Amino acid sequence: MKKRDIFEWIRLIDFSLIITAALLVIFGNLMVYSATHNVSQGSQFFYLKKQITFSLIGFLIAVCIVLLNYNWFKHYMMPLYVGNIVLLLLVLFIGRTTYGATRWISMGFFHLQPSELAKIILILTLSAFLADKKGNIGKISELFTVFAYVGLPLLLILIQPDLGTALVFLAIMLGMLFISRLRWQHALFILGTGILVIFLVFQFNLLREYQINRLMVFINPGVDPMGAGYNLLQSKIAIGSGSFFGKGLFSGTQTSLNFLPVRYADFIFSVVGEELGFLGAAFLLGLYFFLIYRGLAIALSAGNLYGTLVAVGVSSMWFFQIFVNVGMTMGIMPITGIPLPFLSYGGSSMLINFVGVGLLLNIYAHRFK
Amino acid sequence: MVRLDDSIKKRLAVVGVMVVIIFSILLIRLWSLQVIAVDKYSKMAESNRIRTISATASRGIIYDRNGEILVNNRPSLVVAIAPSEIENKGMLLKLGKLLNMTPDEIEGKLKDKTADPLKLRAIKYDVEENIAVYVKEHSLDFPGVEIKVESVRNYPKSTMAVHVLGYLGEINEEELRENENQEYESGDLVGKSGIEKQYEGILRGGKGFQQVEVDASGKVVRILDEKEPIAGNNIQLTIDSNLQLATEEALRDAIVVARRNGYPDAGAGAALVVNPNTGEILAMASYPTYDASLFIGGISSKQWAELNDKSSNFPLINRTMMCSYAPGSVFKPVTYVAGLMEGLVSHNSAFDCEGTWVGMGKKWPKHCWDRAGHGLMNLSSGLSESCDIVFYEVGYKLYKAGGEKLQKWAREFGLGSKTDIDLPSETRGRVPDKAWKKKFNEKYPEYQRWVPGDTVNLAIGQGDLLTSPLQIADLYGAIANGGILWKPHLEKRVLTAGGEEIHKFERERLADVSVSEKIMKELQRDLRRVAVDGTAKRALEGFPVEVAGKTGTSQVKGKDDFAWFACYAPINSPRYAVAVMVEQGGHGGSIAAPAARRILAASFELPSTGPMIVSDKSR
Repeated sequence: MKKRDIFEWIRLIDFSLIITAALLVIFGNLMVYSATHNVSQGSQFFYLKKQITFSLIGFLIAVCIVLLNYNWFKHYMMPLYVGNIVLLLLVLFIGRTTYGATRWISMGFFHLQPSELAKIILILTLSAFLADKKGNIGKISELFTVFAYVGLPLLLILIQPDLGTALVFLAIMLGMLFISRLRWQHALFILGTGILVIFLVFQFNLLREYQINRLMVFINPGVDPMGAGYNLLQSKIAIGSGSFFGKGLFSGTQTSLNFLPVRYADFIFSVVGEELGFLGAAFLLGLYFFLIYRGLAIALSAGNLYGTLVAVGVSSMWFFQIFVNVGMTMGIMPITGIPLPFLSYGGSSMLINFVGVGLLLNIYAHRFK
Repeated sequence: MVRLDDSIKKRLAVVGVMVVIIFSILLIRLWSLQVIAVDKYSKMAESNRIRTISATASRGIIYDRNGEILVNNRPSLVVAIAPSEIENKGMLLKLGKLLNMTPDEIEGKLKDKTADPLKLRAIKYDVEENIAVYVKEHSLDFPGVEIKVESVRNYPKSTMAVHVLGYLGEINEEELRENENQEYESGDLVGKSGIEKQYEGILRGGKGFQQVEVDASGKVVRILDEKEPIAGNNIQLTIDSNLQLATEEALRDAIVVARRNGYPDAGAGAALVVNPNTGEILAMASYPTYDASLFIGGISSKQWAELNDKSSNFPLINRTMMCSYAPGSVFKPVTYVAGLMEGLVSHNSAFDCEGTWVGMGKKWPKHCWDRAGHGLMNLSSGLSESCDIVFYEVGYKLYKAGGEKLQKWAREFGLGSKTDIDLPSETRGRVPDKAWKKKFNEKYPEYQRWVPGDTVNLAIGQGDLLTSPLQIADLYGAIANGGILWKPHLEKRVLTAGGEEIHKFERERLADVSVSEKIMKELQRDLRRVAVDGTAKRALEGFPVEVAGKTGTSQVKGKDDFAWFACYAPINSPRYAVAVMVEQGGHGGSIAAPAARRILAASFELPSTGPMIVSDKSR
């Protein structure tokens, strides 16, 4: 290979994104270990081993995706869409039920969460759908087509029920619609519909008791500190007591003494806040900010509208999850079971995030075509 | 290259701005939690993980003067429940069946709002071992229930001396407030009466604590700091167990006998033995008694109501020093001394008792208890026969002399003020005088004036005079020793848990009664005559030790007579002063004096051979 070719190759790789993603993954594995190394049962490396395994598999998947051309996905829009629906239907019939929700399909050594996969498929298929409209959804009828297109998988996810992922779906859709020159009137219409839906949900008691409790706690954090408010209070205590420099890695009392609930998954940011302090948490937010920035920059530089929309979709997904998850641990968002990208323990979510990175790198690499 | 058109670029820029705003919000929130509110949350994190468990010290032991244990401690199996389990009705019902308690009783114990809501509540003490084992083995059926071993008070001599010893109870809000600077906390046991209350600070010892780190489930992860509790000090009392038992028996028997012999309302009384040379209380009995072990683990409201019901005669009261009564004729020695010391009468003064006395005029006749009359009397025979007429005369002379002389002498003998015995809730009694009467009848102007009859009534220990049996015993002790009022006391010494003496009670002079030696000797001689050929002759006949004393039969409106006897022995070198009082027991000579004889017999370790009751109509 000639020197010039190598230079060309290097120009195709977004090293900053790779480094950011790598730092996040390392960060995440460290925090998962810190949150789980003192579990009373089993090996202290149980969770770490699994998380590292998923990270490596994710890395391989990302490499595979980079080696493809993302435009290829556009041609398989319909099979992907149908496959997605089938998978989401499958989970309702053969899925594993825990805590009253049916979200997982057992795959031997790990439990696949189709709703995570559905997020990526949504991005890929909706991008193709919108790209066909040339980034123009001027007519309200087209808007309704989009709603129906997104609505079907969304409904299946709500049935599981998985409100958190459903909300991520909406965020992805809104982000991509916005880039597709959504008209302001239509934006207002969507807002109105949203308010109406919320009203109807309360009117017909469609929320489950735990969800109402979470909302109550969000509105009034002091209520029921031993019950529904416990998680939020403990999370705020963990972050608040972390102070500027933190209590030190593996030295968080809220973490190691089990005061923090689901600290290796939904509340992992509280562990960061407690053990690494403002310095560590702000650094993490900085990494996330850079990640989103790279996503949007890649969207801007994409070789075609499809690439832009995919990049926006991936960025919207991450951005929404980061905002809701981090906001939740600090009491400025209601508690929803949305994982923090790259940090929260969980195989499906980790793999999907790697797919996201792979797609972004791919779009970046094909930006000149 | 297909380039994006500008409107999409603009929209991406809008998204970018939104991202910047949202991340700024997150960062600001992070700053406000971790930098601005750091103190608040740090404290909360600390209180989350650090618990201080206080360890109660072993409470001091109470001994009698010979080293016999009156109160010590023993372990008790306790069932305790987390207060939050109050909602678990099914479990409470099951547990109740096991413990023989109704769910209401258990809930009542869990409802106490003053206690720490996180602390387990003891609901039953002294649980049988097999039940405790059952609960432990079926812990899954009894969530929040724990079996603990707690140290509780133990009374090896059962109810003996219960009024002296007192009982323990949970500290109440008022006591918590009063002892704010001490290490008391809600749920602590404190002395509620008797020695337990008086010497709370000595018996209690110092609390220890254990500062531990706990995890979210409350499990102790490690111990951060620890202080061993310091055991309370032990107290040795002046009480003599054998004499105490005999005194209680004699008192109880006297009440039973009185009840069977025409005084059905006799149901309460007091008796005590004092060392006239030191003020040491050798025995102190009050009837009816109660069982202090009822208070272990908290008394039930039903039992508490019973103890405070009129029909049970208020057994919690120590009648020797918490109540005051008209002393009747046991007061006559004071009038005797007052008359002689003020020079208003002499041993040559003659009195003619015809059964009725009209010294204050025919409109106000007063009667001797002996309506037939004693005939020609002097002061000496007046005392030994307890002739009222003699003392009416002396009283009237004291009234006419002015200056409230009789009251002055009553006070000289310690009446009307506390003896300062080391027991809580002592009564001061009452020596009535002009000022008192005026104030007492504030709302009834027509009764405010002190009249001659008031002093005349006071002279025979009636009227508005009130004395506690303890004051009377101390008074007779002063007569016995020639005029020193010793402060009566129960503490002999305080010992550390290791047995080292750290305090010894030295006798303490309350006052010197300024009676001349001559007059005191005459009084002692005439009190001896009471026992030899006076009103206590029958009761004390054949008693091998020489006793001097005085009977009393006080009248209380609407009730049967109260029987009194106060005495000391032996007359030459007195070792014991005894006072006995039986509420509504009849005549002092017939009921109280025989009881005193039995108490004296026990004091001198003689066989108890006297009569239980003798016929005597004197007052």
